Amino acid sequence: MIKGRYDDENLKWIPVLIIAVYLFPFLLKSATFSYKYYLYIFNIAGVYIILTVGLDILSGFTGLMSLGHAAFLAIGAYTSAILVDQIGLPFELSLIITPIIVGICGFVIGFPALRIEGMYLGLTTMGFGFIVKRLIIAFREWTGGAGGLHVSKATFFGYTIRNDWDNYFMIYTFAILAIIIARRIVKSKLGRAFMAIRDSEQAAQASGINLAKYKMMSFFISGMFAGFAGVLFAHTNHFISTDHFDILLSIFFIVMVLVGGVGSIYGAVLGTLFIVLMENMFIPLFEDGMSQFVHLEAGEFQVFIFGLIMLLFIIFQPQGLYGMWLKMRIYWKIFPFNPKKRFT
Amino acid sequence: MTELITGLLQESISGIALGCIYALIALGFTLIYKATEVVNFAQGEIMMVGAYINFFFVTQFAGMTGGLNGWVFLAALFCSIIFAVLFGIILDYIINRPLKDEPVFSIIMATISLAIILRSLTAMIAGPISLIPVSPFGDSTIKMGGIVISILDLAIIISAIILMALFFFFFNKTRWGIAMKATSEDSEAAQLMGIPVKQVYRMVWVFAAIVGVISGVLLAPRMALLDTTMSYLGLKAFPAAILGGFGSIPGAVVGGIILGIIETVSMGTLSFHFEWIKEINDIIIWIVLIAVLMFRPDGLMGEAKVKRV
Repeated sequence: MIKGRYDDENLKWIPVLIIAVYLFPFLLKSATFSYKYYLYIFNIAGVYIILTVGLDILSGFTGLMSLGHAAFLAIGAYTSAILVDQIGLPFELSLIITPIIVGICGFVIGFPALRIEGMYLGLTTMGFGFIVKRLIIAFREWTGGAGGLHVSKATFFGYTIRNDWDNYFMIYTFAILAIIIARRIVKSKLGRAFMAIRDSEQAAQASGINLAKYKMMSFFISGMFAGFAGVLFAHTNHFISTDHFDILLSIFFIVMVLVGGVGSIYGAVLGTLFIVLMENMFIPLFEDGMSQFVHLEAGEFQVFIFGLIMLLFIIFQPQGLYGMWLKMRIYWKIFPFNPKKRFT
Repeated sequence: MTELITGLLQESISGIALGCIYALIALGFTLIYKATEVVNFAQGEIMMVGAYINFFFVTQFAGMTGGLNGWVFLAALFCSIIFAVLFGIILDYIINRPLKDEPVFSIIMATISLAIILRSLTAMIAGPISLIPVSPFGDSTIKMGGIVISILDLAIIISAIILMALFFFFFNKTRWGIAMKATSEDSEAAQLMGIPVKQVYRMVWVFAAIVGVISGVLLAPRMALLDTTMSYLGLKAFPAAILGGFGSIPGAVVGGIILGIIETVSMGTLSFHFEWIKEINDIIIWIVLIAVLMFRPDGLMGEAKVKRV
């Protein structure tokens, strides 16, 4: 047998998972009447998954911290909106051009990364986020300034993507594609170079890795993923404004990657789903239950519970969701012979 | 032209006062970063909590004694500092102790969630209505030449200088200060030398909380309204800490003051005289920061780290 590249994984589950993703909306529709709202939330999660997978390549695999990924999302969304609505390019073409433009922006931001590292880089990218937000307001002829911009519906080879039902299939097709591409990148020579840079720059350089080239490459790839997410965000949300791309969103992206577990693509996916679903679904449900007994300040209590869950999660499960899953898997593999006190 | 110069001078002084507050917040970041390599995202929230607590004490004491006077403010400040000490100890138990051996990333995330918790909790307890902070000095001012200086700004500058001097003395002359320095250099070696590292860490958090609360107390009277958006000033103090060089105490002070002056001047006189500054005056700090980092990647006063393979 020729050993494949994905030896270490259990590949037979992947098609089942993909089919499950596509069947999910039908299941949801038969289960609840308000399925459209839930689909909307899943769509947001899907767009964010594309972005966090890219962010994971940058922050988790290459070790370059970025606190400005909401800005990449914003550039992607606005570029696509301008290209499609004002210049008149077809949506399919925008799907190809916009990620490249955002990737080039990532390339430009990557320049300081050659000298700056760690928290300094995080703050530089955060500053980049503020600057982009301000520039969007300054170019108000094209972007509509602080008032926001309406975006047309996406038309995909003659088929108009009308509602959240259609959006779901489009977004998750691209999300699955993004995850597969990210897996391929991470397992390739490129990915190994990224990990070498993360673990020790000096050792990587000594083994013949061109630091500048690969760091810029990492920024470029990450920017492309974010740009892709931006296009989908603009054309499924139909309205974009600078409030959608707040600095807090950038911090949340990093949190999503960290909750999932740094340095694993599936971790980023899990973390994004966990955070988005928790923020939008479980906490409101919990809150509705609580409000029967005590009167509560609606918005603030939700945020409070969110923060509390996150804090407890980090204290009791610092390796993230994916680490938890790996522990569980090892536990069941060697089930009757578990050494004591190892799995706590 | 003289109008421009007096305007600039006037705003520089007000900028120095704002910069001193940034410097104090940046000092909070720096203290924790130096000792534990953790970036405390909750520093702005600690400042906000300090402002609220001080406001609460002031109104309580004023109600008890039947009027506002200097003693009320002093007593409120004293109580706020005691609160800060307790707060720092609690933070140490919540954030630092359980995550001692975990990667720095997780602790940073814990501080982010702490920031979320503090902000929402304050909003829940204090209610949605903004408070109107009272200044111990009212609106009184001093005139020097053509320049008007408010007493509040002067008081901020003086108390910041006193605090900085105290910290400088503490870090360089006392046993605990030197122990703290040693711990931040190499915690294992410090432990082997008999330094109680756990207590040093707790002390660092207590100091950061004290600095945060005091900066909140000083900042609140400068603002028209007191609400939870005050905590976002913590994000503005980040560039101050970075500009000076993360982990350098004089750097935090210099960075804070530079940014304070740039911000006030660009928002005031310069934007009257030059139209285009209006477009960029809330990001000018970040532009300066990125420009400086391009040439000095470790900040103005930070030391370049030598890495061993």
